[in-house]
Order: sequence, then structure tokens, then C-alpha cells
Amino acid sequence: MGYPHTSHPKETPVLSQYFGDPGARSLDGWKQRGGYRALEKALGMSPADIVNEVKESGLRGRGGAGFPTGVKWSFMKPGDGKPHYLCVNADESEPGTFKDREIMRWTPHALIEGAAIGAYAIGAETCYIYIRGEFTEPLRVMNAAVKEAYAAGVIGPNAMGTGKRIDVHVHKGAGAYICGEETALMNSLEGKRGNPRIKPPFPAVAGLFGKPTTINNVETLAAVPHILNRGAAWYKGMSRGNPKSTGTKLFSVCGNVAKPGNYEVEMGFPFKEFLYELCGGPLPGRRFKAIIPGGSSVPIQTVEEAEATVMDYEGFIAQGTMLGSGGVIVFDDSQCMVKHIARLARFYAHESCAQCTQCREGTAWTTRILERIERGHGTMADLDTLLELADQMTGKTICVLSDSCAAPIVSGIKKFRSEFEAHITGKRCPMGATAAA
Amino acid sequence: MPTLTINGREVTVPQGATILDAARSLGVDVPTLCWYPQLPIVGNCRICLVSVAGSPKLVPACATPAADGQVVTTESVAAVENRRGVLSMLLERYPVHDIPDGGSRNEFEALVRRYNVPTTKRSPLPLRTGDERAGDPLIQHDMSTCILCTRCVRACADIQVVGVLDVAQRGEHAEIIVGADGNPEHAGCTWCGECVRVCPTGAIHDLIPLAKLKAESAAQPERTVRSVCPYCAVGCQIDLSVRGNDIQRVRSPWIEETTPNIGSTCVKGRFGFDFAMHRDRLTKPLIRRGWVKRDGTWRFEPSPDDVARWGRRGGPWREIREEATTRKQRPKFNPLQSLRLADAPLGDPRDRVATPKEWYEPFREATWDEALDLVASQLVRLRDERGPNSLAVFSSAKCTNEENYVLQRLVRGGLWTNNIDHCTRLCHSSSVSAMQRAMNTSAASGSMREVEHESDVIFILGANTTESHPVFGAAIKRAQKRGATLIVADPRRIELAQRADIHLQMLPGTDVALLNAMLHHVLECGLEDKEFIRTRTHGFEAVREAVAPYTPERAETITGVPAHLIREAAERYARGPKSSTLWAMGLTQHHTGTDIVTSLLNLLLCCGMIGRWGAAMMPIRGQNNVQGASDMGAIPMSYTDYLPVTDPSVRRMYAEAWGVPEERLSLTAGLKVTEIVKPESGVVGMYIMGENPIISDPDVAHAEEWFRNLEFLAVQDLFLTETARYADVVLPGSSFAEKTGTFVNTERRIQLAHKAIDPPGEARADLDILIELSNRIGLPAPFADASAVMDEIARVTPSWRGVSYARLEGSGLQYPVPDAQSPGTFFLFDDEFPTADGKATLTPVEFMPPAELPDAEYPFFMNTGRQLYHWHTGTMTRRATGLDSREPTPTVEINADDARALGIADGDPVRITSRRGSVVLSARVSPRVARSQVFLPMHYREAAANLLTRSDVLDPYAGIPEFKVSAVRIEPVTAERVEEGNGKRSTALGARPAAAESWSD
Ligand SMILES: Cc1cc2nc3c(=O)[nH]c(=O)nc-3n(C[C@H](O)[C@H](O)[C@H](O)COP(=O)(O)O)c2cc1C
Ligand code: SF4
Repeated sequence: MGYPHTSHPKETPVLSQYFGDPGARSLDGWKQRGGYRALEKALGMSPADIVNEVKESGLRGRGGAGFPTGVKWSFMKPGDGKPHYLCVNADESEPGTFKDREIMRWTPHALIEGAAIGAYAIGAETCYIYIRGEFTEPLRVMNAAVKEAYAAGVIGPNAMGTGKRIDVHVHKGAGAYICGEETALMNSLEGKRGNPRIKPPFPAVAGLFGKPTTINNVETLAAVPHILNRGAAWYKGMSRGNPKSTGTKLFSVCGNVAKPGNYEVEMGFPFKEFLYELCGGPLPGRRFKAIIPGGSSVPIQTVEEAEATVMDYEGFIAQGTMLGSGGVIVFDDSQCMVKHIARLARFYAHESCAQCTQCREGTAWTTRILERIERGHGTMADLDTLLELADQMTGKTICVLSDSCAAPIVSGIKKFRSEFEAHITGKRCPMGATAAA
Repeated sequence: MPTLTINGREVTVPQGATILDAARSLGVDVPTLCWYPQLPIVGNCRICLVSVAGSPKLVPACATPAADGQVVTTESVAAVENRRGVLSMLLERYPVHDIPDGGSRNEFEALVRRYNVPTTKRSPLPLRTGDERAGDPLIQHDMSTCILCTRCVRACADIQVVGVLDVAQRGEHAEIIVGADGNPEHAGCTWCGECVRVCPTGAIHDLIPLAKLKAESAAQPERTVRSVCPYCAVGCQIDLSVRGNDIQRVRSPWIEETTPNIGSTCVKGRFGFDFAMHRDRLTKPLIRRGWVKRDGTWRFEPSPDDVARWGRRGGPWREIREEATTRKQRPKFNPLQSLRLADAPLGDPRDRVATPKEWYEPFREATWDEALDLVASQLVRLRDERGPNSLAVFSSAKCTNEENYVLQRLVRGGLWTNNIDHCTRLCHSSSVSAMQRAMNTSAASGSMREVEHESDVIFILGANTTESHPVFGAAIKRAQKRGATLIVADPRRIELAQRADIHLQMLPGTDVALLNAMLHHVLECGLEDKEFIRTRTHGFEAVREAVAPYTPERAETITGVPAHLIREAAERYARGPKSSTLWAMGLTQHHTGTDIVTSLLNLLLCCGMIGRWGAAMMPIRGQNNVQGASDMGAIPMSYTDYLPVTDPSVRRMYAEAWGVPEERLSLTAGLKVTEIVKPESGVVGMYIMGENPIISDPDVAHAEEWFRNLEFLAVQDLFLTETARYADVVLPGSSFAEKTGTFVNTERRIQLAHKAIDPPGEARADLDILIELSNRIGLPAPFADASAVMDEIARVTPSWRGVSYARLEGSGLQYPVPDAQSPGTFFLFDDEFPTADGKATLTPVEFMPPAELPDAEYPFFMNTGRQLYHWHTGTMTRRATGLDSREPTPTVEINADDARALGIADGDPVRITSRRGSVVLSARVSPRVARSQVFLPMHYREAAANLLTRSDVLDPYAGIPEFKVSAVRIEPVTAERVEEGNGKRSTALGARPAAAESWSD
């Protein structure tokens, strides 16, 4: 998808409707396109009604875990006498994922509006938008938009003239993937090392600064104004028969594919059609080999599995993987899977916060083995060691970064074992690739 | 109260307990690495994961709340498999190939053995590396054995509340770092060693200070002996690791034991013990040459040569006064960074501060029989020829209760005088006189742990707790972290002042004005505790009138503290609801010390901040047994338990107990330390146990002269101190590690220390020496051991009646312990005071300025006090290798603006002069002192602060001198001008040729 942007006719552009439209960036432009009506409406509703509406819509978290947003909001006990906080997770660092970036780049006010509604709904007067440090352009755009919104009184001590306080602060991350994990993000905001915290206590009980906190992904919040404007039933209607997965989802597509980019489709869209029609299929003369459909942390699919998948939370699970953050990474038959799995492991080894023994040691150890295999120095026993380590790294740590590292390794060895064996027996990469430096 | 099942056994635990807590309460040993009692739970090692029925994943026992109906299996197949996985991953980068069976050296290796994890390496990962703290004299790192449990990080941040350590980097590169730049100094490290204590692998370890220990016996200790730290009155319990006759190191008692220190120590407690094994220790009795026994009588017949050289009792040394003005060497760069000790610019500290050889010249070695015979004969002779009051004795706040008791018993029952005192006179005597007058008590009303856990407001005056009582200082910081309000009144911006919610930075000695103004404001706001005043005090009206003129505005003009801060402090203190009041020498060491403490007590009583758990009154005592030495009657006006010597019925009781004729016990109070050391005191013979008045007394020059002129002086000590060098007889005593006995800490806790090693050579246990001396003087002391002494103490001391050695093991007892069943007393005065009618008395006091104020000639206020790394007159700490290398030379703290105005740079030599004398030492430009004020530490012989202090103005009630305020002048010293005083060989720095010394870097 290039800019100016034209959606594919089979897309359902809700969040991406104004991608590529510079006019939508300003407050006025946003208002002309129907912006801030939802916030106005929301501030006239009771917080409980907003929470119910969002619950009813079936909206689920787009950050990766897919937790129902309305339910998450309902954990925030009104009137407990404590300050509440809303954190917006705009740290988008998951390899293969770049949808929040586009939302912030083109429609910053969509996020501010959604965040303001969310803050009001959970009884928070303060909202922090934690943006990935490398996102220089989105940071600039968001900062300008927040300033504009304050100046116009949309947010601030007297948001929309209602007497309600909604403060929004933009915070720049400093280059750590782990700070996208919700509790690490809170530590980072507090000025501490970005280590994930043990749970319980959950953020809704003791989050940022030890106070009740909700954390939502950018895409999740950007959907909220549409739900308030057009109703939960409308949102729920965007689904192909699975009431547990509703609305639209942005998928970021990259890799060996004819037309990489962001695509917004209804939940339940067929993955095959998505890959071959919307994304234009493989590059000339190539065939798809493997797909990672939900960002680097989910298991790898073979192309056969992918073609049988419907694109919603349950659909991906049925085909051995997860929807995750919706970052679709496509590999064709020219690619060495060993190399790519080694590269992913290296990413996690680099990003592990190093608290948990299994993650700190396991990510580094598996990386060394994978790189060794990739260079043709591996042994068959290495494969067993990898699976053994992956098992130790799964389900035992504070956050799921460790599991995320293990997932592609386990699925990769299971589904592409012959490639690993060819490296080991041939003592070199059969495709001539070497591990990236 | 959830009830759960662990390994088939049911257990009910308090709400909020974790699965680990529940398991431990059943005695089920769930392995842990990152978990440590009282540290924040981080759950990062993942070794304590256990199976819980119904949970698909293993859960961390340390971090999972126990819940009703949970069914937990701690050694399930999955849990054990995970543990072996964790251990084998950690082992991969652990630099040990073989862990001997049963010979595990640390917690981690013990777990490896327990789970039978093979030590063969499979991983291609490199060993861990990291900081080594090369050259650090105390704490070293070997990060190759670090398992990143982060206990050290949390211990530093949450127990000691310092925050030197942290984790840097991510992934496999993660490592523990020391401050941002690797320099512990910059990160505020105090070398307390809490990190050493909690490290489960020894990656952070202490250096064994003596080279010989390194070689032979660095291996496992043979035994561990519980003792009490010999330094401050927090009374930290410590475990001595002993091998042969050497203390290898100090270990912490387990954190969950009830010790006043929860097993923490400060740098002195953990690293300051090697003085006991210093080569300067006296190993034989010494007798001044010239003493001969002829026809059964001792005579002093010095050779004319000796007399010609150094007079009746001098020696080949320079007086303190002379030494003070010689040049001092100072480290040219930080001795901690990349330097081995012997390479440090000042040389090996053991040589630098050792007793100079020539000091032994006037003495000859003697047998114990000779030495004790000489002492006994001379004391008896003077008693009989010159009268009992020609004799005086300094007892010791470093010695045990038993020793103090036997010594005062000897003085009163054997020498028939009450002239016994000790250094309490110089520290808290004014607190005692004020507290006695107000409520007839002489000790803290409460406990340290109530301050830590309960107080809402902590008001600290004139106490640099984080340096002088560091373990209590840390507890106060923890209290503040928990939410307590901290109000600090101190002329210096010390660490607690920087952390305080309110810092009242008053001019030195203006405390009465400040405190009267606070009370004025409390009354004006009607915040006083009217009920308490009505039912539990006398004299309120007079005090109300007295404070009426002290408006905060007027106080501001006197104290320099803004009126609004005085108001705010007063309101917060009075509102409490539970305010604790802590003070130390900053209040007491004034010629108005008793008045100052009285004004504080007035405030405290009017706000009712006493007699409740969380509202403690705490004079923070100095030495580890200054409370006990006073309790034991080593003070001139009372027997044990402060029973007055002037009361005939009291006298009768003791006469009976000691088996002496009643009339032998004097009914007149004796002389105080500060009265004894005066030409007009009439004292001509002295016995001094473990004190060093030639450094600690005010106006040292006069004191030295006075001791030189005594007719007879016997000193019982570990070293040939500045005082002992003038003695006729020196009796080598024992260090804290060499004896069994009890000490009383600042919260009235009587604690038992056990003997760990034998005294060196022929040195003897202090109690043995005293018992034998008592017998020789003619007062039988029929005590088989220290425990027998305690039994007699308990008999004659009402508030110790229930104390016995059997009951003191472990956490000790806080007196009063009226009977053998009493659990001791955690806090006092909940319904009445120990006065005739049970009420306290308020006494109006007026502000009086310090006796000596700055003027044109002497424009600076000089304050004296302690530093973190040293103790008192330095006899012990300056012989503790690590401590002395941290703070090797005397310095004066001066404000940056003053320094600039005087053309003084940090480290420059300066001369400080008062009307009494002058000293030369290095300037330390410091933001802690206010303008026109300087701070001199008291620990250094070569620049004795007390040369400058005044001995002629004393507090009229307590006799305490005004150590905290003198007027001085400061001048930079140029190289030539230092030369003058440098003619003779410096005893302190003698090894260095003068030409090699330079003041510039
Ligand atoms: C290692 C790790 C990294 C993560 N990074 C992100 C991220 O960059 N952006 C994001 O929205 N969620 C991220 N998450 C998920 C968040 O923890 C959290 O689930 C999400 O912000 C919740 O928002 P949602 O309910 O709206 O999805 C990450 C999780 C993990 C374990
Ligand atoms: S799993 Fe890894 S990234 Fe997550 S908390 Fe543990 S060490 Fe940190």
C-alpha cells in the first residue's frame, strides 16, 4: 500500500480510511472528518455505559494478547479514592508489525480521542502515550496533535468544556522492545529499568506508580470512537460469523510478497485470499514457503496451514499459531528458514530484560546454537538441545518474551526439520545464505 | 486466613502470605535464589516454581498469594525438572567444573548438589565477567560467579537505602554495576557490606584484611561465635567466623532473628574487627623504667638520664599539641581505585598509624604479679596517705557491664571514693540530667523498631545517624520510605537532612530558641495534648509563660531558620499522631546542654509524644556500652540503677552486698571526668580502663599536661595509647572478641557477647584483671566468671533483677526486667513516670548563646564530631586496615564559598586556630557545612580536634563541655610555613622522608 493510499476493494477501511490523507492530521481536519464527536458523546455518558458499549462490541486488545477491552476496563473500580491511569502502548517494536505507526502518523487525533474516551471510562484523569523512541515522525505528529488538542480545550483541565480533566502526556521510549510489555512499560514510565513485573498484582490493582492502571494498544483505542459513533452492533457486525472476534483488524505485511503494506480487513477474512489477492501473491517466479502471521512472537505456519486459515483470533489458533499483533511476515522458497529463525532468536536474546534465568540464558544459548547450525557447524544433538531449551523457556517466566523466542524455534524445527538437517549433514547452508552479521 | 494443602499437609496462614511463606511455616524447604526475607519480591530466578492443582503452568511460590483450597506440590516432576533446568542454565556460565560432594561452598552450589545437576558444560556462552572493584580495600567482586539474582541490588536499595548497585545491559550481557561509572564513591557507597551478606555465590565478597589469613586459613571457619559489635550503641549482633586464634570475618546473623540490626551492619561492624589482631596489641604488662621493689616496697627511682631526657613521666614523642601543627600527608588520589594497599601514597596504613617504636622506650616488660602488685600497692598507698579522693578512675563505655560493675565496686568498696566516671560525661550526661529532672529516667523510653515500623513523624536533632549509628540510620531511611515524615534539626546538611521532609538548619547552639519557638507555635495552634499535660505533668504554666516570647519570627532571628519552617515542623510534630524524638551529641555537647534537652523534653511532653508504641523518646547513645556503663554505676553520683550514693539506705544495701563496713562507702558524690582533669581537683593517682582522655577530653593540651603531672597512673588497654604512654603501669587487656560479657544498647537491650579468641600473648581478660586487682586491694571479688558477676548485678539492681545469662542468649532483654518471668520492657511510661507522684516535670528554660561566639579574630564556628569510618579517638579504627584506608587523614569540612573566599581548594592544607591551640590538616570542601562553619572530626591524634575545644565552660548540671561550638580562624598553609613545625620526626608519618611529601597533587 503506497501513499496516496487507495484501499483494496476487499478491505474494510475504518481505522485506515484516512491513511495517506494529510488533511486528517490537524484538529480541524479531523473534526471535519467527524472527529471528536465520539468524545463529546462519551463525556455525556456515564463511564459504566461506555464500558458496557465497548464490552458489547466485542472489541479485543490489538496489542497481541487479545484480551476483551471492555472487560479489562471493568476491572477499574470506580470511586476507590485512588488516582487511576491509562497507558497507551505505542511502543510497537514487534518485528513485522507497523500498524500503530501508521495510525499515529496519519490520524493522531483518532488515538487522542480514543485515549480520552478510555481515560474517562476508567476514571482516569491522566493518560500516558508511550511511543517507541525510534518512531521519530509519529512522535513529532503526536506531540503536535496533543498540543493542538490542549490548545483547543479538547483535552486538559476542562475537556470539551465539560469540567472533566483529561491530561495526555507523550513519553518517548528509549529503544527497548521489552518496554512494550505492559508492566515493563510502567516501570519505564516511572523512570526505572524496564523490567516486567511479577503478577499479581495486576495493573488494574497496582499499576503505574502503584495505582490502578489500564493499558491499551494504539489500535485498540483508535477503534473506540467508531464504536461509540456507530454503535456496538455495527462493530460486532464486522465479522464472518465468529462472535468472539469482531470488528476490523489492521495487518502489516512484509517479506517476500508482491505488495507489502498495511491492510485492514474484517475479522474472519480468508488468509489465502488475503495473501494472494490483497497482497498480490508471491514475487514473480516464487512460491510462498512459510508465514509468520502475528508478529515475530507467534509460531510459524507452513503455506498449507496459512492457506487454510481464517483471519481471526480463533482461526489462527486452529491452524497452530496466533493472531498476535497482526504482523504478517512472508517467506518464499528462496529463503533459508534456519537463517531467519536464528535471526529471530538473536532479536529476543538481545531484547531479553535478563531477569528470568530461562529467558536470559535460554535466548542467548539457543541463538548460539542456531547460528552454529546456520554456519554448518551444528550437530543432530543440537536439535534436541534446542527443543529441550525451548521447553524450559516456555511457560515458566515472568513475561512471555521467553515463550516468544521458543515459539518460532519449536515450530520451525517441527515444520522445517529437513532444512536444519541439511545444514548439519551438508555442513553448510544449502541455499548459500549466511546468518546476517 | 486461607487454608491450603502443601505436599499433602494442611496449613492455615495469614491473609497476604505467599505459598512460600506457607511452605516455610510447615518446614517445607522450597529452594530459592532471588528471594530473601524482607527484600522486595522480584521472582526472577524462577527456581521456586511449584505445581498448584488446576493451574496449567507452574507458579512461583515466592510471589503467589496463598489461597484457600490451593493444593500445592513443591517437588512435583515438573517443578523438579524446571529447577534442574534453571540450575543447569546457571551452571553453564559458572566458572567451576566440579562441586565437591557435600562440600558446596555457597547457597547456589548447595542447590546444585541437592538437585544433582551435572556440572558438565554444554553451552557455548562465555563466562560472565564484570566489575572487580580492583584495589578496593574491603569489598571485592568476582562477577564470574554472579547468577544475577539481584539480591545485592535490593539489599542496597531497600535495606540500606543507598542504591549503589544496579543491573546494566540486557540479555546475556546483563551485569551488576557499581554506580553509573563503576566508582562506588560516586554512587554513595558506605561499604556497609550488605551486598556481601546477601550474595548467594560469593560473587560479592569481603576481603580478609590480614595478609596472613589470606594465605593459611581463608578456608572454612572452624567455628562461629555470636558477639556484639564493639562500636556504636545500636548494638548490632554479629557472628565472628573464627579459625585458630584469628577472626576471619564478620558474618551477619540471619535476618529473621530478632536482633536490633536484623543482622545488618555498617562498615565498622563488618570490616572494623582486625584491630583486635593488630601487631600493636600489648602482650605483656609494662612498667615504667625506674620502678623498683626493695624491701617489699615499690619505689620510683628513674635513671638521671631518663629524667634528663623526658622528665618524670614523659617519653621520646611529641606532645599532641606539637604534632598538630606539622604537615600532614594526604592521598594524592583516591586510594580505592586500582591501588594495592601497600602502594597507596600514604604507605601501608598499618605502618602509618601503628604505635611508634620509640613510645615503648620508657617501659620495661613485667610479669603480671609485679604489675598488679605495683598497681595495688600504689592505689592503696595513695588512698591511705593522701585520702580516697586523691584517687580517680575512668571506667569504660567499651567494656562490658560486668567489668564496669566490678571496677566501680572496687573503687567504692576498695578505694572508698566515688571518683569514678567514664566518657558518658562527654556525650549524653546532659541528656541524663535533663531526663532525670523531667521524669527521673536515664535511658531511651522506646525501641528502635517502633521508630522504624510505627512512628508517623521522626524528629531527629543533632544526630548524624547515617554516619554515627549507620544501622539505625538505615532503619530511619526505611521508615521514611514507608511514609514517615522526617524532620531534621542540624546545623549541617548531613545525609538525613538532605532526605528530610523538613530540615531546620539552625546556627550552632541555638536549639533552645528553636525548640521554645516550636512549642510556642504548638500552643498557639492549640495542638498540645491537653489531657496528657493535665494528668501526667507538672509545671506547664511556667513553661507556657517562658515560651510566650519565643515567636517563630524571633526564633528566626536567633537561629536563622525561617519562621514558616519552624511552624510547619511544630505542627507536623504535634499532629503526629505518633512522633518519635531522637537526639544525640549535637544537642548535648553544649554548656547549655541540659537546658537544650529540657526544652526538647518540654515540647515532647506537651505534645504527649511518649509512652505509646511509636512515640519514642530516644537519646541515641554513642559507645556500644555507654548506657550499660552508666547503668552499672560507673558514674560519680550513683550505684547501679542510678541509686544515689548520697542515700544512706542505698549505701547500706551495697555495703551488705559487698561485705564492706558501711562507713567505707562514701556518701558524697564523686568528681566527674571534666572535674577530675583539673589542677584543682586534688586527684593525684588514676586508674584508667579502656579510655583515651588525652584525645577525647576538651582542651587536650592542658589535659596532656595534667596527666603528665600525676603521681601515679595505671592504664588497662589494648594498645599503648596517647594516654597509656604516660602510665606507670600498663596492663594489657582484651578486645571485645576475647571475652564474654554483656553490653546495653541504646534501647536498653542487654545483649550477650561470647568469647571468640584468646587475648594475644600474656594479655588477659579485663574482668580477670579487675577481679585480681580487687582481691589485691582487699575487696574480695569472688566471681568465677562473668555470669557470676551478672548474678550479683541482678541481686543489687532492681530493674535487672530478672536478668541471667541463660535468658540473654539470642535477642537479649530490654530492661526493666523486674523478675525472671518478665519478657523485658519494649517501651516505658505508658501510664506513669518513675517519679514520686508518677508525673513528669516541665522546666522553663531560656535561650543562652554558646559560650564562645565567632568574632573578628576567630570568625568561624567550629563543630566537632564523628565520621563514618572512624571511631572516637581512633585507637581501634585507625588500626583496622580497611577502615583507615577509607579515611586515612584528618580533614576539616568547609563550605565552598568560604573556601573560595579564603583561597583554599579541596585538599589544601589549612591551619585552624582557636584561643586554645591550632591544628594543621587538609580542607574538604563540602556542601554539608553552612557558611562560617567548619567541622572537625575528633579521631585523629595528628590533628586532634580537642586541642581547639574549651574545657573551662561546662554545663552546670552535667559538667559536659561545649564540644560543638568553638570560635576558630582558618588560614591556608603554604609549604614553607608548614616546615617550621616539622623539625622533629613525625611519629605518625615517620617512615616518609619530608622532602617526598607535597601538598599538591
Ligand atoms: C515482550 C512483549 C512486548 C510487547 N510489546 C508490545 C507493543 O509493542 N505494543 C503493544 O501494544 N503491546 C505489546 N505487548 C503486549 C502488552 O503487554 C499488552 O498486552 C498490551 O499493551 C495490552 O493492550 P491491548 O489489550 O489493547 O492489546 C507486548 C508484550 C510482550 C510480552
Ligand atoms: S521472560 Fe525474559 S523478558 Fe520477560 S521478564 Fe523474564 S527475562 Fe525479562
